[in-house]
Amino acid sequence: MQNISYSIASDLLKNKAIFIYGSLLAVLGWGMFLIESQPEKTILALLQITLIVVPLMTGIFATIYYYNSAEFVQLLLIQPLRRSSIIWGIFAGLTSGFVLSFLVGIGLPLLLFYPTTASIHLILSGIFLSVIFTGLALLVSTHQQDKARSIGFVLLLWIFFTFIFDGILLWTMYQLADYPIEKSILFVTFLNPVSVARTLVVMQTEAAALLGLSGAIFQDFFGSLKGSFIAILALIIWGVIPYLFIKRKFLTRDF
Amino acid sequence: MISIQNISKKYGLQQVLDKVNLEFTGGQSIALIGPNGSGKTTLIKLILGLVLADQGQINVQNCDISLGPDYRKIIGYMPQLSRFPEQMKVGQLFSLIKKIRSDIAQNEYDLSLYNDFGIAKMEGKSLGALSGGMKQQVSAALAFLFRPEIIILDEPTAGLDPISNSILKDKVNEARAQNCLLITTSHILNDLEEMCNHVVYLMDGKIVLNEEMTSIAKTTGEAKLNKMVIKFLQNR
Repeated sequence: MQNISYSIASDLLKNKAIFIYGSLLAVLGWGMFLIESQPEKTILALLQITLIVVPLMTGIFATIYYYNSAEFVQLLLIQPLRRSSIIWGIFAGLTSGFVLSFLVGIGLPLLLFYPTTASIHLILSGIFLSVIFTGLALLVSTHQQDKARSIGFVLLLWIFFTFIFDGILLWTMYQLADYPIEKSILFVTFLNPVSVARTLVVMQTEAAALLGLSGAIFQDFFGSLKGSFIAILALIIWGVIPYLFIKRKFLTRDF
Repeated sequence: MISIQNISKKYGLQQVLDKVNLEFTGGQSIALIGPNGSGKTTLIKLILGLVLADQGQINVQNCDISLGPDYRKIIGYMPQLSRFPEQMKVGQLFSLIKKIRSDIAQNEYDLSLYNDFGIAKMEGKSLGALSGGMKQQVSAALAFLFRPEIIILDEPTAGLDPISNSILKDKVNEARAQNCLLITTSHILNDLEEMCNHVVYLMDGKIVLNEEMTSIAKTTGEAKLNKMVIKFLQNR
């Protein structure tokens, strides 16, 4: 079981695409700190990068990898291995590959140049987003035979979570401004892992303007400490639930 | 060794296998034949656990295969199309599979096909760069590597050159003599004739023939497998 995750992770790290992804993050992460003299500004720039680039890249790569490894999965399935350990191997291998790239590219410079709680929260968000979007990508891929459709669907999910979600939320709030909907909006916030990740980091900085609407409500309601605890809990749930569905599908499908 | 009880499988609306019952024991070399789309590969995939049955039960050595993957320890499988991860090297593939099968000691490997096909020379090549026949050779060597008691070959001879073909046939006959169970599908009946002693004919998901080769030869009065099959089908 560890063999499988290990071999997938090492296979992935040898992959050109993941190398480009890691290098891109490294150029941005290390470069920003070298150019910008104010680390408070740099962390916000890196936050934007993490929120946009990490979900996109992990989602797309995970989808492509899943389809390209169909032969490999077949080969594993005829060995005396449980299907559950194979899908866990794929999930763990992919996430550890992405997390490692993120840690080297963004995590390491953050810790070296700006070792604060905000940085640690940003690293946490990046790790969670890698896991969550790998999960979402595999969720789509295991339920859909066609590779192109899956990539399209993963892209849609990315656009929805990074751009459209807050827009819809703002519009709804504007429409329903006369009603006491704060609490329901708060609940809706949890439906977007990207907002939760953003809130988690921004709450630790002075830049409340970047919270976005959902984040502002969030902080207003929970305050900082309780807020980050609840945000982390929400992100864990966002990581676990897709995996449960992936596993259920993988155990019962035909190959 | 394998007992298939009342197995049915549907893909969408198409009934691929319809209440199939079969019993196979050691020393048998089964020729699993039938027209395209008759359910041969599905039957094999069901035994391997790649496809899950809608109904019925399969036992391998008296153990229900839905209970766990350990029964696959005694099965070697050579798929119809050998597809491998493209970037992986042949050597890496072998070492990975050997790692997964750590239950078999290093000195117990059956390296005869590995040596006869000269796979050592391919070790440094990536699997994507191998020709179809070479992939089949790799696949065959893997199927026999862990000395399985049950060997399943899906169209094994299709891409092999004549010499490799006869090496594989000899290997199959040797395994049968050692009381292994072999199940082979192929459309090349001449090949099957040299490897098999029992015929199972599938048609539209049902078994229409399940007999020893010698007894079919007697009832049809033919010596060649392809003639036997044709005569049998005409007599039905």
